[in-house]
Amino acid sequence: MKRGLTWRVAAMWVGSVAVAVVFLAPLLWAVAGSFREEAAIFRLDASSLWDVDTWTLSNYADGWRRAALGPALLVSVAQVALIVGGGLIVNALAAYAFARMTFRGRDGLFAAVVMLIILPVEVIAVPMFFTARDLGLTGEFGAAMAGLTLPFMAKAFNIYFLRQHFLALPVQLEEAAAMDGAGVWTQFWRVALPSVKPALATVVVLDVLTHWGDFLWPLMIGTRESTRTVQIGLANLFTQPPVQWGDILACAVMATLPVLLMFRWLQRYIVATQVQTGIK
Amino acid sequence: MTAWQRDFAKRAPWFLLPALGLLAVFVIWPLGRALWWSVSDADLLAPERARWMGLGNYSDLLTDPRFRRAFFNTALFAVLIVPLQTAAALGLALWVNRPERAWRWLRVVFFLPVVVSLPVLAVVWSLLYQPEQAGETGLVNAALGIFGIEGQAWLRDPQLALPALAAMSIWQGVGLQMMVFLAGLQGVPREQLEAAQIDGAGAWRRLVHVVLPSLRNTLVFVVTVTTILAFRLFVQPYLMTRGGPEDRTLSLVQYIYEATFLNLELGRACAAAVLFLTWVGLLTWMQRMFFGEEKS
Repeated sequence: MKRGLTWRVAAMWVGSVAVAVVFLAPLLWAVAGSFREEAAIFRLDASSLWDVDTWTLSNYADGWRRAALGPALLVSVAQVALIVGGGLIVNALAAYAFARMTFRGRDGLFAAVVMLIILPVEVIAVPMFFTARDLGLTGEFGAAMAGLTLPFMAKAFNIYFLRQHFLALPVQLEEAAAMDGAGVWTQFWRVALPSVKPALATVVVLDVLTHWGDFLWPLMIGTRESTRTVQIGLANLFTQPPVQWGDILACAVMATLPVLLMFRWLQRYIVATQVQTGIK
Repeated sequence: MTAWQRDFAKRAPWFLLPALGLLAVFVIWPLGRALWWSVSDADLLAPERARWMGLGNYSDLLTDPRFRRAFFNTALFAVLIVPLQTAAALGLALWVNRPERAWRWLRVVFFLPVVVSLPVLAVVWSLLYQPEQAGETGLVNAALGIFGIEGQAWLRDPQLALPALAAMSIWQGVGLQMMVFLAGLQGVPREQLEAAQIDGAGAWRRLVHVVLPSLRNTLVFVVTVTTILAFRLFVQPYLMTRGGPEDRTLSLVQYIYEATFLNLELGRACAAAVLFLTWVGLLTWMQRMFFGEEKS
């Protein structure tokens, strides 16, 4: 019996490590390649990997310069921060109204919002481009940043998801606050919102993931150099000759670091169980 | 209705206005324009001069072999990834759903590709899929070589390009679906599992009779989301194969993008988008009918 158990544990470890290698190897190989000279990147034998002469930092300097990564990082960080921050406020406000306030036509309006959840953004991207242009959101830096972010702040899924969490709150919480003379705004801002923090964190994490990887919309609207995101900078480096794999991999690593850091910071808020309420 | 509730309801418009205003301007209005342009001869340079032309764009699309190819490719991509990714995500979730802390690192490993953005991974995988050339070969072929499998020109072979993109996409997205399943597994009733074990049910029977039924809603959610994501395929083929070889990885979204910005055929692009939306809506509806989401 005991022996069988040991074998099972060993098999589980071997299996786990094997699967982990499949998930990690491409990423580790990319990171290793970003530190190696062009000619050495595709050499896979271990001896060449430990050959210190083929290591270099110049890919990072070249990639940073060629992809104009400094400004692009600023644009990307600002883009995600604006979408996530602005979105958190407008979606939470709407979710709260749908969860707590009774008014005529509420259920119909909410049903209409829910129907938008399955609408893929690609379907409306082209006319959305014209709407942004008509509103003057494709011009200089400030306007273009608005064009990059405003269309994605309000999100049907986030309204639906946050409403579920507001509904799960006992209404007595707010009634008690109202007894103490708190107005509607205070009840929302000081009582309800802090009580759904884990749900807010889930929304932030999913939005950061989605929008850090945005490609189609920045490709359409961010045509000027000053509003180019990291992903577009990397894609340009990848598609425009001369193709330097080392620079590309260094850029790929640098484009990933900010979102990894953000995750390290958000990690304690990520509670798997929070996804659940949105599904039910 | 108490005074408190009345006071509350009066403020509703101010709470709703920001989000619903943004949705109206940036979602509903463009959606209306897409519908109108799809039945007009609008072109990219002067959409305001669009004139009614009936269903011409739609009949053009249905007879356009390139559109049919794009639709077929996208559907095939969905057929490849929806069952495989869902099954893999469920398998991984069951695998790492253990209380010991040691399993947490494995969850992080599976989730890592989700954190790295899709454009970055598309670029990295282009290198991984490199065929043998002048003594250099990508990691995929090198790894297969260890098992004695012959290397392939993954992205240049018309038969292999789309499956290669699908494999990479599953690897990238499976971690997120695994997290959703892990959340769902928290809701599996422990007493039923123990009762089944006492009755002598093996792991497989416990999975089929206890775990899967209680995961029903999660499954519907995962299948629906994966299907919609699959139909939004764009970044991988756009960066890795440019829709080639022989249009075998041309996706619906790339067709819409090219019809708009390369061919300036706004009307046709919008008709394609409307067909795309109709199809996604139909699929979602069908999935709900088949799986029949249980009301909790």
